[in-house]
Amino acid sequence: MIARAPERISNLALSAFGWLALVFLGLPLAIIVGVSFTATSYLRFPPVGLTLKWYGQFLKDPSYLSAIWTSASLALAAAALALVLGVPAALVLSRASFPGRKALGALFLSPLILPAIVIGATILQYASLLGFARTYTAILVGHVVIVIPYIVRTTFASLVGFDESLEEAARDLGASGPGAFFRVTLPVIKPGIIAGALFAVIISWINVELSMFNTTANLMTIPVKLFNYIQYSVDPSIAAVSAATIYVAVLVVAALDLMVGIDKIAVSNR
Amino acid sequence: MRIRRAWAVVLLGPPIAFLVAFFIVPFFVLTITSFQVKDGSWTLLNYAKAVTDIYYWDTLILTFKLSLWVTLASLAIGYPLAYYMTYRLRSRFLRRFFYVVVVTPLFTSNIVRSFGWMVMLGRRGMVNEALLALGLVERPIAILYSEASIVIGLSYIMTPFMVLSVASVLQNIDRSLEEAARDLGAGRLVTFLKVTLPLSLPGVIAGSLIVFTLSVSAYVTPSILSGGKMIVMSILIFQQYMSVFDFYFGATLAVALLMTTIVLVIGYLLVVERGPRVAGAST
Repeated sequence: MIARAPERISNLALSAFGWLALVFLGLPLAIIVGVSFTATSYLRFPPVGLTLKWYGQFLKDPSYLSAIWTSASLALAAAALALVLGVPAALVLSRASFPGRKALGALFLSPLILPAIVIGATILQYASLLGFARTYTAILVGHVVIVIPYIVRTTFASLVGFDESLEEAARDLGASGPGAFFRVTLPVIKPGIIAGALFAVIISWINVELSMFNTTANLMTIPVKLFNYIQYSVDPSIAAVSAATIYVAVLVVAALDLMVGIDKIAVSNR
Repeated sequence: MRIRRAWAVVLLGPPIAFLVAFFIVPFFVLTITSFQVKDGSWTLLNYAKAVTDIYYWDTLILTFKLSLWVTLASLAIGYPLAYYMTYRLRSRFLRRFFYVVVVTPLFTSNIVRSFGWMVMLGRRGMVNEALLALGLVERPIAILYSEASIVIGLSYIMTPFMVLSVASVLQNIDRSLEEAARDLGAGRLVTFLKVTLPLSLPGVIAGSLIVFTLSVSAYVTPSILSGGKMIVMSILIFQQYMSVFDFYFGATLAVALLMTTIVLVIGYLLVVERGPRVAGAST
C-alpha cells in the first residue's frame, strides 16, 4: 500500500518528534559527562580540553569516598533485607487466598505512592522517639521500606507466570515443600528477583528525600552530599561525581537489559 | 500449589512485622504529633495555623500549579514518544535503545538530573546559546531559578514515568481493532482518535496521576532549580524539621500533604476501576 502524502508527513513528524524527545531525555546526562572532562575550572559545555583531574580530585577526597561507601553499603544492605522480607511475602500473596490478601498487597506496594518526604519525616520522628535518630539504622530501615515494593512487585509478577505443575511434579517425586521451592521454583523466578533487587539497589543508591532527615556530617550518603554541595557551589568536580553516578546507572540498565530485556521489564514494572 | 497455613504465617510474619514497626507505627506517631504542641497537650492549633495563614495556601497553590504544568508537559512529550516507540519502532534493537535512554535517567538521582538542567539553563548555558543563535532572543534570558526552570527540570524527571505508563497500555491494545477501523475506511488520524486514543486512556490517567503525585512531593528539583527563591510544600516540611525544629507543625504539614496525596490516589483507583468500561464503551 502506498502511503498518501499527508500520512507520509505525519509519519515523518512523528519520527522527528520521537528522536527529539530521545535527545531531550539523554542530553542533560550527556552534558554532565561532557562537563566532567573540561580542563576549565568552571562548568563548560562543550568541554575545553580534556582532563581526568576532576575524577582524581574526588577519588582523593576521603569525605567523598566515605559517602560512596556509606551509600553502597546502605544500598546492598537495604536490597538484601528487602529480598529476605519481600520474596516470601510475594510468594504467599501469589499462592494463598485469604481475606485481606488484596489489602496486604496494597500495603506492600504503598511506599511507592506516598510522598518520600513524608516517609522521611515519619522515620526521623519515630527514631527520635526511640532514640536512634540520625544513625545508620534509621536510614537503613527507611530505605528498606521504600525498596520492598520493587522486590514484591517483580517477584510477584514472575510467580504469576510460573507453571505450578513443575513444582507438583517435584513433590510427586519426593521433594519436600521448601525443597521443591528452592530446586524448582527459585531458579525459574530468579531473573525476576534479580531485576527487583537491582531496582532496589538503585532506588536506595539515589535516594535523597529519606536519607537527608537522618544524615549528619559524619554519616553522609553520596546523593545527600552532592545535594548539599550543589546548593552552595558548582564546579567540574561535582560534575565528575555526578558523572560517576551516571556510569553506575548505565551499568545497571545494561545488566537489566542483558538479563531480562529492558523493554520487557520497563513496561511490566510500571 | 497451595501454601499451608503454618507456612503462610511463617513467611508473612517478618515482612508484616517490619512494615508495622517501621512504616505504619511511624505514620501514627507523625499523625499524633500533628495534634500536639511542645508540652505534649492535645490541640488543633497546628491545623488552624496551616489553614488560616495565607502563606501556606500560597505554597500549596504554587505546588499544585507547578505539578499541573509538569503533568501536562510530560504528557505532551511522553505520549507521542510512547506511541512512536510502540507503533513505529520495528527493530527490537532500536526499541531497546530507546528504552535504555528512557530508563537510564530513572536510575540517576534527581540531583544529578537537576544539575544537568542547571548547566543547560544558565545565562551562558546551551538553551540560551541556542535561543541566541536562532535569533529568538537578543540577550540571554533568565530561565534558571524561576518557576519555568522548576517545571522544565521536573518535566524532564517525570517524562520517563509517563512514557512507561502509556507504553505499557499501548502495547497491549489489540492491533486488529485498529486494522478493522482502517479496513472500514478510517484514515490514520481518525483511527487514532476513535480507537487508539480512547483505548490508551487508562495509561494516560495512570501516568498523569503518578506524575502529579510525585511532582507534588518533589523536593530536590524545586530546591536546586529555584535557587532558594521559591518554596513548595516539601521544602516547607523539611524546613520545619531541620531549620525551624518544629516537629509538631512539620508533622501537620506532612499530614496535609499526605491527605492530598491519598485523595488523589483514591481518585486514581476509582478511575482505574472504571477503566475497562471506558475502553469497552469505545470499542
